[in-house]
Order: sequence, then structure tokens, then C-alpha cells
Amino acid sequence: MSGDLTTTRPLDTLELMINMGPQHPSTHGVFRMVVWVDGERIVNMEPYIGYLHRGSEKLSEGELYNQVITLFDRLDYVSNFNNELTFCMAIEKLMGVQVPERAQYIRVIMCELNRIASHLLFYGTFGLDVGAMTPIMYGFRDRERIQSIFEAVSGARLMHNYFRVGGLRQDVPSDFRERMERLLPQLEQGVEECDQLLSYNEVFLARTRSIGVLTKEEAIAYGASGPVLRASGVPEDVRVSEPYSVYDRFDFNVPVGKKGDCWDRYYVRVEEMRESLKIIRQVLAQLPDGPIMAAGVRRIIRPPRGEVYVRTENPRGDFGVFLVSDGTDKPYRVKIRPPSFLNLQAMQAMMRNAYVADVVVILGSVDIVLGEVDR
Amino acid sequence: MSLAATVLVPLLGLLALFTFLSAVVLSLVWIERKFLGRIQMRLGPMRVGPFGLLQPVADAVKLVTKEDVMPFGANRALFWVAPLAMFIPAFMVWVTIPFARDWVIRNLELGLFYVVAVSVLSIVGLVMAGWSSANKYAVLGALRAAAGLISYEIPVVMVALAVAMLAGSLNLVEIVERQAPIYAVVAPLGALLLLFSGLAETGRTPFDIYHAESEVAGGPYIEYSGAHWAVFYLAEYVSTFALGVLISLLFLGGWRGPWLPPVLWLLIKAYAVILVIFWMRGTFPRLRIDQLMSLGWKVLVPLSFANILIAGVQLYYRWPWWALTLMSVALIVAVSFEVYRRVVLAGGKPEVELVPARELRRKVPVREEFKTTKVSSEGQQG
Amino acid sequence: MLNSLKGLGVTLKTMLRKPVTAQYPKEHLPVNRRYMGFPALTWDFQVQEPYCVGCMVCIRNCPTQCMTATLKDNPLHKEGKSTRRKIVDIFEVNLGRCILCEICVEVCNFDAIVMSHEHELSKYERNGNRVDLQALLEMGKQYQEDTGWEPEQAAAPKEGVQA
Repeated sequence: MSGDLTTTRPLDTLELMINMGPQHPSTHGVFRMVVWVDGERIVNMEPYIGYLHRGSEKLSEGELYNQVITLFDRLDYVSNFNNELTFCMAIEKLMGVQVPERAQYIRVIMCELNRIASHLLFYGTFGLDVGAMTPIMYGFRDRERIQSIFEAVSGARLMHNYFRVGGLRQDVPSDFRERMERLLPQLEQGVEECDQLLSYNEVFLARTRSIGVLTKEEAIAYGASGPVLRASGVPEDVRVSEPYSVYDRFDFNVPVGKKGDCWDRYYVRVEEMRESLKIIRQVLAQLPDGPIMAAGVRRIIRPPRGEVYVRTENPRGDFGVFLVSDGTDKPYRVKIRPPSFLNLQAMQAMMRNAYVADVVVILGSVDIVLGEVDR
Repeated sequence: MSLAATVLVPLLGLLALFTFLSAVVLSLVWIERKFLGRIQMRLGPMRVGPFGLLQPVADAVKLVTKEDVMPFGANRALFWVAPLAMFIPAFMVWVTIPFARDWVIRNLELGLFYVVAVSVLSIVGLVMAGWSSANKYAVLGALRAAAGLISYEIPVVMVALAVAMLAGSLNLVEIVERQAPIYAVVAPLGALLLLFSGLAETGRTPFDIYHAESEVAGGPYIEYSGAHWAVFYLAEYVSTFALGVLISLLFLGGWRGPWLPPVLWLLIKAYAVILVIFWMRGTFPRLRIDQLMSLGWKVLVPLSFANILIAGVQLYYRWPWWALTLMSVALIVAVSFEVYRRVVLAGGKPEVELVPARELRRKVPVREEFKTTKVSSEGQQG
Repeated sequence: MLNSLKGLGVTLKTMLRKPVTAQYPKEHLPVNRRYMGFPALTWDFQVQEPYCVGCMVCIRNCPTQCMTATLKDNPLHKEGKSTRRKIVDIFEVNLGRCILCEICVEVCNFDAIVMSHEHELSKYERNGNRVDLQALLEMGKQYQEDTGWEPEQAAAPKEGVQA
């Protein structure tokens, strides 16, 4: 420090290290990013996970099969039905149980409603991430209506514990169909409103288009799935490519993005809400009568020895369960393949040349749920 | 006697002004929360007083009685002075703003110039707050504030200049008096420019980047609590109200209007402008810093020059006033279209392809085991 | 700019609509019939004793081990008023641990436990929401009164008593 102001030596600058999270308002739970910025540009980003680790996989080994379902509720806590379905299907596959038609159809209704609820939450939080404060209220308004249906059917708004190995805990209430008839137009209108408010807003487009681009090859290489993969242009949907339950009986579209940027990831989800509504209408039209529980499934479940892998389409992507049974009433090993965890891995690739403000938008567009990432 | 006239009367005037502004801020807080609540289909504050009318009072009491926390490592002097450094300029603006023809503390000949010059000073307070908080988010926010506010000062100055050209005066009272049709009709481009750059100056959505809570978590305000935070808040709302009043004075004919007393007319117009600001807050996402800068330098600054140009052309050739209106509207339409082309259509039309599941199933035939709802019995052995 | 104006239109439209929220502590939204609140024990009004015999099947099946119970000889059985040989003596649920999964209700062979509609039980102490038998029965009675709950499986022994 000579105090010589005429020096031609360039200024020494340092990258600024910013700790975003785990208590940052827009990290969607307890997720931590360490971001190195040069001015407002991102130089490097490192994600740190594990703040919500509850040891679900290990816990599952000490619980009865029916109790494990409650743990699956708490993995991805905004798409509980989808998780329950995956685990139940794994045991059913192992035991060779034939689930009754009516139970299958009700499961599909619940899962698709849950997908809409999850995407509505995404819509709201993504709106907050880009700085709009009204979308979250629109999203929650309609999510509330869906949760009211959940409460009527399963008794709980969030942690349902409704699916059982071989069927369902209870049949749907008698006024279910009327309530659905009332709900669906409301949802359709709600989704339409959400779309009009945000999707093509110029500011929103400027904030999300060509931001956080994930190419097709990268998306596949990182093992991304669900809307993130589809936004990158890969028409892959487990409901179509490996149809489970009764999904092969319904006609719907798979929205596929073109560029793989944040806007595509956002709009793929908006379109998925519309497609889910379409599926629910078809299911309601075909809903048969009959039992809701497979015969011969005992209260204490003892699947035969063996191992099984089942995957389903979560709102967040390809959710898989690998289950090893040693023939007792508790699973020997449960391995969960959480879609959020793998989608999160692609974050660093999306962060190239991003600004500080984009970090939030990109993270929001991946739509992670930390309960599932950390398990 | 002369002492009383020179010191006491203006002091009393300032005191009255301060009280009035505090009341206005309280009302604005209530209106904002209620209005946003209704936009979002909520009720808004309902608990304190009828319709939650006393909610801002309760908030103020809470803020004043809260503990003031200063982070470890903060620069003590700057940290405590910063709120005042932001509030005083925001308050000083009001010295020359007239509420009616004679309702003004000091009617300066260069009133408009004074307003523009003083209002930009509040950046100093923001940067001080950001720097002294010993917080990285605060520094980022302060730098954003400095960059954004300074670049948006230019359009404000230029719009003020165009208005001064039209009115032939920098005296706010005279500007109001000389609006034959109100200037919002004569120069809609100028009105829009002042609204947008004013939004950026007061840090309101969609330009609220310096305290964006989803990015920098409150920016310069992040470490403030209690009364000091309340002073920031007060300053922000006072500047918002100043923006509303300024737009009403320059473009909406100020206190002029039939039937009602002039002060009321000014307040109605200012509140209407502020409601539009709240409405935009309820609708728009926020821009990114680089987009904010390029909007400022590449769109608003050239437009504000163009605004002066068309005003000059209209004055020089003595065209009727609607010629300026037509030119302004043409410019607005052209720029809107250009923004649409650049933002919406850049890199292809934003859309998502819908692939029918039926087609996908045909393309990749489903394996036998997945075809029916029958469950395969693998894993049964053992 | 047109799409932005459309967005402004949407917000204006919703502003003129009725709000969807309710004034919570003043007005409670009704819960659905199946709503699963905290578990509660039911009361057999005919014999004036709990349905619960303290068999502990719910305790063994609880995923979070939030309950404990002991049983005792039933004095009413000695008097010949009740068919239940044993009856619950102590029953305690730590509602702070309960995850409202309804597994206890499902496994109960005596219809002795239900998911009540209670869900507002904030307490000031750390373990303030440990609820004993008396409080659980009160919650159960309230639930029975509200919903007109009827036992399914326990119907048979009750008739035996009356006969």
C-alpha cells in the first residue's frame, strides 16, 4: 500500500463467498448453497444437503410394513399419496397381490390430485422466487380445496396413511363424486388463472427464459427425471413408458419442453396440471364398484423372501423403491430413489453464467423437497 | 417577533408536515396490506380495530418497543446514522411540494429541480446501511441500490425537464396551474417514464431488487430491527407517497378539480397513483439487476431523451397539444412491440409441446409385464 | 406489454371476488367426518366403563411409541355388570409424538380407540400434551357426542351383558 494513485496495476478483487441457506428465505426448506460470486455473477456453487436427514431408510428396517407407509408419507411431504403408492406397489409386487379395480382407480384419482396440489405449491413458490407475491396465494387457494377432499377421503390433509398393501384403508365417502364434480371446474378455472397471471408476463419471461438451461444430453447424464427431464426435451414419463396401476387405460398428453430452461420447467408443470385434470375426469367416468381391499392380505404383512424394485411417476420425477424382504414382518432393506435428489445434482450444470438472482430461480424451477433429498 | 417568524413558524410547519406524513404512512401501510390481501383473495389485517384499521399503529408500537440489535462487527456510527440519512432526504423533499396553491412550506422557484436533487440523496443512507451492517447480503443489496437508483435518476431528471419545457417553469405551483389539458394526456410517455423510474427509485416491485427478500433477504435492511428499521420503513413509504404526489402534480393536474377542496383532490390523485403501484406489486415478478440496468439505460434513458425531443418539436413548431399525445402514443406502442419482440419471442415462441401418451406408447411398445394391471410374480421364489 | 396487462386484469378480477380465507380463531372451518385428530378412548355408555381392556395391541403397533398402558382386573366384571375381565388402568398418550396415522384405530379389536376431532391442543409446558386416561376418555366422549359414533366389533359382547 504505497498510496500511489497513479499506478496502472489492476485492482485486486476477491470473489465473495455467500452462504445461501439453510436459513435463507428461498431455499425451499433446509438446503444450503455456498455461492462464490464475482459482482453479481456466479463463479461457483456448491450444494450442501443433509439438514433434514431423518434416517428414513434405516428406520424402515425397524418398522412393520404398515408402519413404514407412514414414513413414506414424510419423504416427499407434498406428494404423499404418490410415495405411499410406490411402497405399497413394491410389496404387492413381491407378494403377488392383485389389487381390486376400484382401489386402483381411487389410487389414481388421489395420486393425480396430489400431483396437482404439488404443482400448485411449486407454482406459488416459484412465483415467490421470481419476486411475485400473488401466485403463492392463488396456488394455495386451490391446493386448499384439494386438501379438503383429501381430508374427506383419508382423514388427513397431509400425512394420509391411506393406501394399504392390497388396497385402501377405507372406501371414499358417499358424497365423493359430487364433491369431485364441484372441485374439478374450480381447479380448471384456478389453473387457468394461474397461467394467465404469470406464464406470459414479460418480466417473468425475461427472468426465466434461457436461464438455467439443461440440455437433453446433460439431463439424461445427470439422471434427471420428471418435469426437469421432460422440460429438456425427453418425452419420458413412467406413467406411459412403464405404466403401473391402471395408467395405461387413460388418454393424456405428456408435455415436453423445447429448451430446457426455467420457463420450460415451469410451463411443463402447468400443462401437467391440466393433463392430470383430464386423467381425473376419465377415472371418474370409469370408476367401478367393488371391493377396495384384496382378499387374503393379513394385517401383519409377511412378504416372501426376495427383492423388488418399483418405480412410479412422482410429481417431482421417477420415484423408485428397492425393497429386500427376508420373509419377516419387517423389511430387510428399503432403498429409496428420490427424484429430487437426482434432479438437484444437475443444479451445478444449470448454474453456468448465472446471476445471484438466478440461483433462486433455478433452484425453484427444479422444485426440490428436502424431506426427500435428505430422506 | 422576527425570531418567531423566521424560526418558529417554519418549525411548526415542519412539525405539522411530519405528523401529516406519519399519518399518511400509517394509512398507506393499511391500504397496501388490505389491497394486497384482496388481490390475493385474503382478508388482510382484521384483528386490531374495525377492519384492522389500527394494525399499522400496533405495528409501529411493536417496532418502537422492540430491542434494537446491532450485529457483531458492524460499524456502530454508520449503522445508527444510516436510517436517518435515508429518512432526512425523503422528508426534505416535502419542503417545496405544494398541497394546494398556498399550502406549501416554501414555494421555491426551482422547486422541481430541488425535488429531483434531494430525492436522490437517500441512496447514501442505503449504501451506509449496507456497508456498516457487516453482512454480505447487505453489501450486495447496497451495491444494487446504488447502481439502480443512480441510473434511474436520469430518466426522472429528463422527464422533469420535459415537463418544465411544457410548463415553462420549474415552480411546482406554476406547473400545476399551467396544465391546460393535464399533462398525462399531453405527454403520456412522460407520465409512464416517471412512474417506472419512480418505482425503481423507491424500490417497489417490479424493481425492488435491492431489498428483494427471495435473493438478498432484505438487502441493506437485513440487520436492522426495531425503531431503526421503522425509520427505513417510514422513509420508504414517504418516498412512495412523494412519488404519488409528484406524478399527480406534474401529470394529473395536482389539486385542480371540481367540487372538492383542492387538498382533497391532490390526495385522491396521489392515492390513486399509489394504488396502481400496489396493484403492480401484487401482479409483477421482479427484474434481475442486469435487466434492470439495461431497461434503464437502453429503454428508459433514450425514451426520456425522445420525450424531450418530441416536446421540443411540438413547442418549436407550435403544434396543437394533441400532436405531442400522438407522438407519445406512437413511441409507446413502438417500444412495447420491440420489448415484446425482444423478450417474448427471443429464442422462439415460448411454448411446450404436448406429446400424446398414445403416440408415445406406440413408439416405444410397452413391455409385456407392464401391459395389464396383473402383477408379475417374480420374487416369489424362496 | 399485453400479457402484463392481462396479469393486471387477473389480479383486478380476483380483487373483486370474495376472499377465500376465514377469520381463524373466531370462525373455525368445519372438519370432515373422517378427520383424524388426536387419538381418544371411547366410553361404553351402557356399562359406564371404557371399551379399552388394555390389551396393548395399539401400543405394539404404534410407529412412534407414543402411548403406554397398563391393565387391571375389572371390578364391574366381578359384579357381573360387564363382560370385560380386564380393564384399562393407566393409559397415557404423548400427543406431541403422535403422528396421527390411525394405525392404533385400525389394529384395535375392541373399538376402544378413535381418532377424535381434537386438533388444537397447544400447551405451555414441554411435555404438557401428555394426556392421561381421564382426558382421553373426555376427548372420546366429546367425539362420540359430536359424531354419533357406534362401535362395530364390540356389539356382540354388549348384548351378552344385557341378556
